[in-house]
Parts: sequence; C-alpha cells; structure tokens
Amino acid sequence: MLEVSTLSASYGKRRILHEISFAVEAGEILALIGPNGAGKTTLIRAASGTLPIEAGQVRVRGRNVTKLGIAERARNLAVVPQAQQLGGAYSVEEAVMMGRTAYMGWLGREGARDREIVAWALAQTQLSDYAQQQIGALSGGEQQRVLLARALAQKTPVLLLDEPTNHLDLQYQTRLLALVQKLAREEKLAVVMALHDLNLVSLAADKVALLVDGKLEALGTSQEVLTAEKISAAYRTPVDVVPHPISGVPIIFPGSVD
Amino acid sequence: MIRRHPYLFNTLLLLGALLFSIALGAVWIPPQTILRILAGQLPFVHLLADWSTAHEAIILSLRLPHTLLVALTGAALASSGAAYQGLFRNPLADPYLIGVASGAGLGAVLMMTLNGISGQLGLYLIPIGAFTGAILTVLLVYNLARVNGMVPLTTLILAGVAVGAFASALTSTLMLGTDLQIHRAITFLLGGSPIAGWQPVLAVLPYMLVGMGLLTFSGHILNVLQFGEEEAQQMGLDIRRAKIFVIIVASLTTAVAVAFSGVIGFVGLIVPHILRILWGADYKRLLPLSMLAGGSLLLFSDMLARILIAPSTLPVGIVTALAGAPFFLWILRRAKREVFW
Repeated sequence: MLEVSTLSASYGKRRILHEISFAVEAGEILALIGPNGAGKTTLIRAASGTLPIEAGQVRVRGRNVTKLGIAERARNLAVVPQAQQLGGAYSVEEAVMMGRTAYMGWLGREGARDREIVAWALAQTQLSDYAQQQIGALSGGEQQRVLLARALAQKTPVLLLDEPTNHLDLQYQTRLLALVQKLAREEKLAVVMALHDLNLVSLAADKVALLVDGKLEALGTSQEVLTAEKISAAYRTPVDVVPHPISGVPIIFPGSVD
Repeated sequence: MIRRHPYLFNTLLLLGALLFSIALGAVWIPPQTILRILAGQLPFVHLLADWSTAHEAIILSLRLPHTLLVALTGAALASSGAAYQGLFRNPLADPYLIGVASGAGLGAVLMMTLNGISGQLGLYLIPIGAFTGAILTVLLVYNLARVNGMVPLTTLILAGVAVGAFASALTSTLMLGTDLQIHRAITFLLGGSPIAGWQPVLAVLPYMLVGMGLLTFSGHILNVLQFGEEEAQQMGLDIRRAKIFVIIVASLTTAVAVAFSGVIGFVGLIVPHILRILWGADYKRLLPLSMLAGGSLLLFSDMLARILIAPSTLPVGIVTALAGAPFFLWILRRAKREVFW
C-alpha cells in the first residue's frame, strides 16, 4: 500500500534522511522509532510533501505521490500532527470538516457526501457527542482525537502520525493506540506512526523501523528490532529488554541493572 | 435573538445607519421624506412629489453619494482587516497598523501628484497607484516580520508601524511639495474624503465589487490556514496560491478604500474583533458580516465627525483613532491574559 524507496531529504545543506526504504501493507502499523533528531518527523514531512525530497520515491497504491499536486496528495496521505494546544475558535465538526479540503475546492462548499464522511470520522473517534463543542475547550486527549478524525475525513489509504501520544496521560495513550489499531484493521489503512515510548511500540506496532542519524538502522517485527543490543546502541544508553510475562512482547527498561 | 440572526441584525443596523447618515446634516431631512425621495427615483414608481426640490438635490447629489462612499469604505476596511488577520493568524492585524493603508496612501498620492487630481483619467488611476503601494507594503512588512515561518505580534506591529510611518512621511513630503493644498493633504492623511459627489463612488465601485466579492469566497481558505501552513497543506490546500490570492484581494480592497477616503485606522481591527466575540471566528461568516458591520461602524463614526465640530467636519480617521486606539490597548491587555486562537 505504502512504499518508501531510497528517500533522501535535507534541511538546507544538512542532509537529514539517507536513502530510507520500507513498505507498509494495508491494515498494518509501522512504528517509527529513534532518538531525538534521528529524522522521524522529517520522514513524515518528506513523505507528506511539506518538505521537498531530494531523491527517492513515495508510492501509494503504486503511484508516486511526490509527483502529484497538493490536493491529490492529500487524498492519498493524511497526517496527524503532534499533539498541540488547538485554538478555540472552531467547533469539532467544523475542524473535522476541514479534512475535506482536498475534495471541496476553494470555496469549501460541503456536500452531502462530505457531511456523511465527517459524521463517520466523528463516530470512529467517539467524538459524535462533542460535534458542536469548541475545540479549545477539549482535553488534550480529545483534541488529539479531533486531529485523528480530521485525518480520517481525508479518506486516504495511508495515515501518518507524528508522535500522537505526546502530552497524553496513560489512559489516553492506550486508548488512542487501540483506536489506531482498530482503524488500521477495519479500514485497511497503512499506518506509519512515530513514537517515543518503546513499550507502546511493542504494544501497538506490527513492524518497527529504527532510525539513527537519518539512516534506517533496523526494520522488522518488534521482537527483531527492540533488542537490548540495538536499542542500547541507537539511544547510546544501556537498556534491559525482557518479554512481557503474559503476551511475550518485549518490554524495555532504561538503565541496565547488571 | 441577536446571536441567532447575525445577518439579519447587521443588515438592519446597516440600513438604519445609511438612512440616519442621509438624514443628518446642516438641515435635518426626516427619514420618511428620504425614503419617498429615493423611491421616487426608481423606475415605474410614481409618487406625488410633496418634498422640496432643495432636499431632493441635497440628498441625491451630496448626501447619498457621500453616505455610500463611507459605507463602502467601512465595509472594505473591516473585511480586509479580517482577511489580514486570518492570513497572518494574528487578531491585531489591521490595514492601518500593519502599514498597508499608509502604503496605499503613498501610492494614491503619487498618482494624484503625477496626474493632477481633477483629471478624469487621473481619478481612475488613483486606485491602481494605491493598489501597487498596498501590495508592496504588505510584502515588505510580511517579510520583515516573519520569524521562522511565523508572524509574531510584536514584529508584525513594529514592522507595520515603521513601514507605515515611512510611507506617511513620504506622502506628506509629496503633498506639501506639490501644488495640492495643505488642507486637502492633511485631510487625506487623517482619513477624510478629498472629493465629493458621485465621481469617487463610481470610481471605487467596480474595484470594491471585485475585491469584496472575492473576499467573500476566501472564508474556507482562511479557516484552513488557521491550523498553520504545514497542516493546511497536508489537508490539501495549496498554501502558496492561497496566500497570494488573499494578499492580492485584501490589498486591492484596502487600496480602493484608501484611494478615495484617506488613511482610516482601526475599523479593520474593531469590527472583526467584536464580530468574533458575538458570532465566532468562522471566516466564512466573519468576512460578509465584517462588510455589513464595517459599513455601519464607519457611518456612525462619520456622523460623529460631522456633528462634533459642526458646522465644520472632522476627518473621520480622527474619530476612528480616538475610539480605536483605546480599543486596541484593551485587546492587547486581554491578549496578555488569554490566547484566543
């Protein structure tokens, strides 16, 4: 569904991404991990077209989206930005309706189909009861769901999330990830999600891509990538990894105890 | 009631302001007489002319064009103010405070001194000069004020005030250095119409219709831009084209208002601000409402300008500044305490 091949990108003269390649199937979640400054956000910006790429391709359903116009690209790739304080001016429904921009043209005239899809996106994110509330009055977890609903309203086969659990407490973190998992399975979305918390990664991801200094260091299942050796080296700090006593997924403890 | 019917309320307010503005003057002409005189002008309406021909002449050749020019100017300033606020994502952007009005004034005066204000051709060239001045100023201020892709309040206002002061100084020099009378020059700089009668109304009308017509359609673009340029693009908005479009249309609208009514400040600040408090920040609604309410506000300011030192008239820009500057300070104080978007 999503194929990134030998993608390179720079800020000015400084090259941030070096020939990144991976693929994500429909219904699959790929977690993007790596220390601060490794290029996770840059990768999402380059893939979504807000940062021009230097070399390589991003293909969605086989089409090279870097060659597409802005609106056409927004119908193929949707981005859920980092959790942020949203301004209070719009209602939840209005904000989610803006996800239909790529379908509505300059006047922003909404049709029956746009309203139908917005209602669906609100229902998927359990926001239907909040539709008329001002987004500024919502909690951080609810605001993050608004951003997710807005991306869903774009009706794209690919969803890119940039650290969606930042600033959320434990309850909202797990609820948001469960929601993303459900959407990936039911709507057959290919999901790429930058995450900081490695334990959340092993909980939610089907595949893990480890970025270090803009290079892809490892790509595989969480058992393959989340090893003490790889994580210690990438984050330059000792960690212990043990299997979860029930599910068996790797659990990462910072600071080695031996 | 008022909250649920924004368009109805603002339309009625504007109609009232229009009527009152025509009635007010050295002679008070009762509104019912005005309505009968105006109705008598319509085709296929035949009324018994029981009014004085002097009243009819005053209304048709003086007060009606003056009132229409003031209303159009207010509508243009308020709606372009709202558009600049959306574009800069900053509630304190105003055509006057960000220097665009002064830049337009410079362009207009340049045209006046080149052509002579009386020439028919010159009259129609003035808006083009004002438009060029406005566009150049907004681009200059925008680039001066930009820090890492954002336009923070402090740099925006500082750059706007500095560039505006520079443009105003050039304008004064031009006006005083040529054969335009000092009184007319000062009036223009303080925000007062330099010419009376139908000519300026007819000269601004085509530009105003185009400018405000296109502004009405920018609501969706401005809404999406409020989430930041990068997110707007990820939602599918071509932000480069959108920004250029809004800059051109808002500058055109400002420029035409300035060209024939002088440099009038704070209308573009006060009107959208009050409208946001009452009816929310959705630009699809805010822009047309700004036109209606901007017309009303400038008409009321103009009426004050006409009666405060009657029988002479203050430039209306003085009245809007007297009311607007304290209002601006009040918003600043509020902005320190809360973030409104």
